[in-house]
Amino acid sequence: MREEDTFQDLSSLFAAEDRELEAKPFVDEVMGKVRRRALIRRGVLLAVGGIGAVVAALQLPGLLGEWVTLDSTVTNTISSAQQQAGLLANADPLWLGIVAVVGLCVAAVTTLERT
Amino acid sequence: MRTDPDLAADAVRGNEAAFAELVRRHQARVRGMARRLTGSASSGDDIAQATFLTAWQKIATYAGGTFSAWICAICWREFLQVRRKTRPEIEFDETAEIIPFGAQGSRPSDQQDDRMDLSRALEKLTEAQRVCVVMCVAAGLTHREAAEATGWPLGTVKSHVLRGVEALRKHLAKPEVA
Repeated sequence: MREEDTFQDLSSLFAAEDRELEAKPFVDEVMGKVRRRALIRRGVLLAVGGIGAVVAALQLPGLLGEWVTLDSTVTNTISSAQQQAGLLANADPLWLGIVAVVGLCVAAVTTLERT
Repeated sequence: MRTDPDLAADAVRGNEAAFAELVRRHQARVRGMARRLTGSASSGDDIAQATFLTAWQKIATYAGGTFSAWICAICWREFLQVRRKTRPEIEFDETAEIIPFGAQGSRPSDQQDDRMDLSRALEKLTEAQRVCVVMCVAAGLTHREAAEATGWPLGTVKSHVLRGVEALRKHLAKPEVA
């Protein structure tokens, strides 16, 4: 016999008392508070997120300006590299062959490493 | 019917309906426990509400097992918090013998039936006995679950339940409980 079984009669008395408690108003009140808290949490998150988005948006013009500068630098570098490659090829075409072989090797290694 | 762990898993995902079902299933046990610990219906219901709100916030920490033991442990902690706020100078002592605790004046005096006898008989117990009887006899926790919830040694809980039940029977058997 379990120790708990020795007071089954008293447990039944307490349980009968508890059964008289009306559930619906209590459940409604608890769930109302749960929903209110969730609403407040959502509101705070939205407000903080909104402020963050505005701050981020304010940074965009500066960021785009930097990007344009970077873009022109990259373009200049590529065009100057093309010019230098053309000059090199005119001077000695063997360099072009060497560059092509090195490029192929790098591409092969990269492909194998990914798989 | 869906089990408590299933409903709790849904509640973790933010399903309010699943949590509402858990509240509906366990509200009587928790309210009964809180009312008996405080000796007051309104204070007990406040603690029961706080218990379920805490449970909603911490539902992700429920790691399976008996849901009633988990929720009753939260109820016990909520009760201690309220108790410390109202009576900060008194630390809980499970070895204490007689501590008048239940008489807070808010219990209705016109309920003259078994319920009243039960409440009065509970008030006659020592505080530690009352806590253990409320948890194990009224709320249906096992001795081990009650020991884990309160942090008291298992033997202490068993002994308090045994003596508490004995005293409760004695008081209930009397025709007039003073």
